[in-house]
Amino acid sequence: MIPIWSVTTVTSLYIVMLFGIAYYADKRREAGHSVISNSYIYSLSLAVYFTSWTYYGSVGRAATSGLDFLPIYLGPTLIAFTWWFVLRKMVRISKEQNIVSIADFISSRYGKSALLGAVVTIFAVLGIMPYIALQLKAVAYTFDLLTAHTQHEAGALYGLGPWLPDFVDTAFIIALLLGTFGVLFGARHLDASERHEGLVAAVAVESLVKLVAFLAVGLFITYGLFDGFADIFTRFRQTFPERSGLTMVNTAQAPYSMWFTLTFISMMAVMFLPRQFHIMVIENSDEEHIRKAMWRFPAYMFLLNLFVVPVALAGLLLNGGETSGADYFLLSIPLESGHLWLALIVFVGGFSASAGMVMVESVALATMILNHLVMPLLLEFALKGKDLSRLLINIKRLAIMAVVLLGYVFYRMIGDSYALVNIGLISFIAASQFAPAMFGALYWKRANRRGALAGLILGFVVWFYTLLVPSFARSGWFDARILDQGPFGLQLLRPLELFGLSGFDMWTHSLFWSLFFNIGAFLVYSLMSSASRREEEQAVKFVDVFEPPREQATRTRISKAPTIIEFVELMGKFIGEKQASLAISEYLGNREIDAKGSLHEYEIPGLKRFTERTLAGSVGAAPARIIIENYLSARGSRMEDVFDIFGSVTLSRSNSREQLSVLYEAARAVSSGAQLQTILDNILDLLHQQFKFDLCVIRFLDESKQALVVRSQKGMSSAHLGESERNLSTDTYIGAAFLTNATTVVNDTDFMDKPASSAIVHREGITSFAHAPITIEGEPVGMLSAFSRGAKGIFTAEFVELFSSLARQIGIAWRNARQTEELIEAREQEKELAIAKQIQTGLLPDRTPDVLGISLAGICVPARQVGGDYYDYLALDRTHLDLIIADVSGHNTGAALLMAEARTFIQATVRNQGDVASIMKGVNRFLYSDLSRAELFITMFYARYDVAAGILTYASAGHNPPLLWRRKPGICERLDAEGLILGIQPQVEFEERQVLLASGDVLLLYTDGVTEAEEPGNGFFGEERLAQLLQEHCRQDPEQLIATILHQLRIFTGSHSFRDDVSMVVMKIG
Amino acid sequence: MKRPDSQQLREAWLLFFILGIVMLNFPFLEIFNKTSTILGIPVLFLYFFVGWPSSILVIFLFCYWIEREDSGSGDGGGPT
Repeated sequence: MIPIWSVTTVTSLYIVMLFGIAYYADKRREAGHSVISNSYIYSLSLAVYFTSWTYYGSVGRAATSGLDFLPIYLGPTLIAFTWWFVLRKMVRISKEQNIVSIADFISSRYGKSALLGAVVTIFAVLGIMPYIALQLKAVAYTFDLLTAHTQHEAGALYGLGPWLPDFVDTAFIIALLLGTFGVLFGARHLDASERHEGLVAAVAVESLVKLVAFLAVGLFITYGLFDGFADIFTRFRQTFPERSGLTMVNTAQAPYSMWFTLTFISMMAVMFLPRQFHIMVIENSDEEHIRKAMWRFPAYMFLLNLFVVPVALAGLLLNGGETSGADYFLLSIPLESGHLWLALIVFVGGFSASAGMVMVESVALATMILNHLVMPLLLEFALKGKDLSRLLINIKRLAIMAVVLLGYVFYRMIGDSYALVNIGLISFIAASQFAPAMFGALYWKRANRRGALAGLILGFVVWFYTLLVPSFARSGWFDARILDQGPFGLQLLRPLELFGLSGFDMWTHSLFWSLFFNIGAFLVYSLMSSASRREEEQAVKFVDVFEPPREQATRTRISKAPTIIEFVELMGKFIGEKQASLAISEYLGNREIDAKGSLHEYEIPGLKRFTERTLAGSVGAAPARIIIENYLSARGSRMEDVFDIFGSVTLSRSNSREQLSVLYEAARAVSSGAQLQTILDNILDLLHQQFKFDLCVIRFLDESKQALVVRSQKGMSSAHLGESERNLSTDTYIGAAFLTNATTVVNDTDFMDKPASSAIVHREGITSFAHAPITIEGEPVGMLSAFSRGAKGIFTAEFVELFSSLARQIGIAWRNARQTEELIEAREQEKELAIAKQIQTGLLPDRTPDVLGISLAGICVPARQVGGDYYDYLALDRTHLDLIIADVSGHNTGAALLMAEARTFIQATVRNQGDVASIMKGVNRFLYSDLSRAELFITMFYARYDVAAGILTYASAGHNPPLLWRRKPGICERLDAEGLILGIQPQVEFEERQVLLASGDVLLLYTDGVTEAEEPGNGFFGEERLAQLLQEHCRQDPEQLIATILHQLRIFTGSHSFRDDVSMVVMKIG
Repeated sequence: MKRPDSQQLREAWLLFFILGIVMLNFPFLEIFNKTSTILGIPVLFLYFFVGWPSSILVIFLFCYWIEREDSGSGDGGGPT
């Protein structure tokens, strides 16, 4: 025996280490570095499956009934083949739905049913509580075995002090310890995601410890005390030839049917025991980990089972065939052979197996109890307005302790009786009852709430009757006669031979009947009853979780919708303010928030779903749904389908027939060429009749009054809404809409933030209205308004789009009318314009001069009637040619006259002034005073080509550098020279440069109208494109080249006319 | 390179799963359910403790293979 203090010390140190690891993992998570997010930890944590029941019990089973301990591990190995599909699907759904437990999963799938959640919780607690008792028993028993060795009855720690009350034994202290651990790492704070990294880290370490401990003692017994596997088997066969059944199957204790049953229930248990679901699904941090766990977890189980048979047989050999202590061979063999430290390691391993199970199970069950049993009551007694987050976390802590302590009470009540040894399998069959509802949830859309409820309840009733009742009867709690004679003497209802089905072991018998009723009721009810809309929605979300999401068919809105702040406050009540504001800021992220700090109306239902999901992460799906529904109904809000203004013949949402026909009619009205007033009246008629608005109004801006003045109105007469002017101020919706140039929609006039508008609108009984700006080239010139007394929420996004495009059509009509007016005005100025135009056309050369060895072409495309561009070529003689291109700022008669002045000056002086630079200098001096007086300036490029020498001399006054295409070596050059724009300073010096031209070279002079031609939204045409064009088409003759460039420019801008004058001169050598 | 689609994978896993259930149940087990031994170790024990790691190896190889398919879309090789 080992002194009590050393066992206590080692155990305490181990517990402190676990606390340390768990604490570290939690800290790391808070710092954003998860230590558990790796596939090794995940695989190890799954081994929480392996409890002390199997840690010690496998050996006991192997020593008494043979190989039938194996199916408990073979089943999970087999089901692991399906994990990539089944488990991954469960994980994906749980992440998307923020699911926190298996009860939550089932309740959420079947329409977020609170009742179903409660049923699953009650059954889970009933089925698992005894299992916890078993763990406590194992730890307490081995502790006592280790310290007292022979004195089993009195707990060793019991002797600590006689002043302790009677129930304080080893198991009680262990229970307190494990409960505390569960509280510390399962319920330190309410988490929006319900994940416990510290707990997982501790469980993973424990899994490692129990594996190492088991392997250590297995190796010691097999190779230390004996001479390997063969030695043990040979000696056993020689000593106990009659027990050869221990290495065989289909024995009297373990027939094939039972073998199959055990395989099946362990498959189900490893998936659906609450703790397994918690570790595998809820605590999963990455779906990829599943792939690794699919072989690592079976490999773990294989290693753990490798020595079970040798240890069992060795125990029998060492104990002379005595099987009464077989459950604890693992501990007693090293103890009796004097290897106390090894025994201590085994004890720590067994402690790990129990502790891991109890901690995870209690946290998982406590979550379920809180969410599905306590929460509905809490909501029923409506602790409205209170901050519940503290209360909730405390209830959860209490629930963890309660689960563990209930396990303890169960342990005390049942004691050493028959019931305890079978508890493990009883729990497995309980977990199997979840299987039909779970698989239905994953793969069968017709499965519905009634089916799941009926199946679960019937399954559990049969489970209770065929397993627990016999156990209780044998423990003496019930009259044992029920087993032989049935209840009230009804032979047919004997719990172990229900309906006369005999010849099976109790496990197979119970599994068969419970699943028969479970699956039967599940199928029948699901097929016979129809699912509610919410169930159908959830069914799709679960079964089709891997399908790409489809757009919701119908749209909903919330009347009297809460604001963002109110949603945050609601969440804060349950998960604490900090968590709530964190969650909301993540959600809002890049969503658009309007001026009122609120979301668009159609985003509110999304926010509601988000709030529900966040709450679900903390309290479960069903309570979250109830919370939200209660909350909304308390403030009089309702979810309602959006009134479909387009009726039922909608072809497709974006192009409904009505929408098209209305737009078509409006376009016809606009293009009819009628008077503006008639067009406006027609469009309003159309709007009024098609959509049954009570009032439609068009207002236009009167610039002198700075007010929106009514131009047309249809529908009810309302002095305020339909006939009065509106000032341009943000106090009214219409004013604000005009100033911000944005369509404004109020779908529920109960919620308005502009008191001035609110009063008028309510007086007229308007329930929803909209204003759309009428724009010309993007600038608002008026407003189109529609008012409805009927339905709220009439302005769907689609309708608002139609409404806005109607407003744009009106804009076009307005512009057309305005243009006609302008045309009349223009006639007044026609004479002046004609003069200016004459001047300009007179400036441009009417023919190209005849110079040997070059070809020439030039063009000027004016943007308006009078251009500001000018070009010219002056042939001085047969071998000298001057080329000029210039651009004057401004496009009026004055600019044209100045250009004429410049031309006159140049033509007059060109023969006297010598070089290019002095001509430019002269022009600047001559024009300076006129230009500065008119606040105009000119850019100019002047070149002189000496045909004989092939030399081009040039100067520039800030003009766009012309492009010169060199045939050899085939590059484009820019001809730039220093020089200030004309009209800036009276005296300017110009740089003169020269360049030698060769045959095939092409010179292109142009104005900025070419390079600054703009494609809407895509920037300028640019010099680079121009150079590219020049290069590609350098072989064309000058006229063709100009035509090509103009063509490309028109393609680029997408319009025939240009915004600025476009001028080009092309000279080609040879 | 050809990628196994999800349906194919599912069917492969299902095949392994069913094969496993068949091989670990009646009547398959009956083949090895004998008292005879090989190297002093009972045949059935050997069957389990050789068959089990073999099935784990199959899962391992299969997982390894899928993972390579998923990540190595550019390498052109692969057992397709």
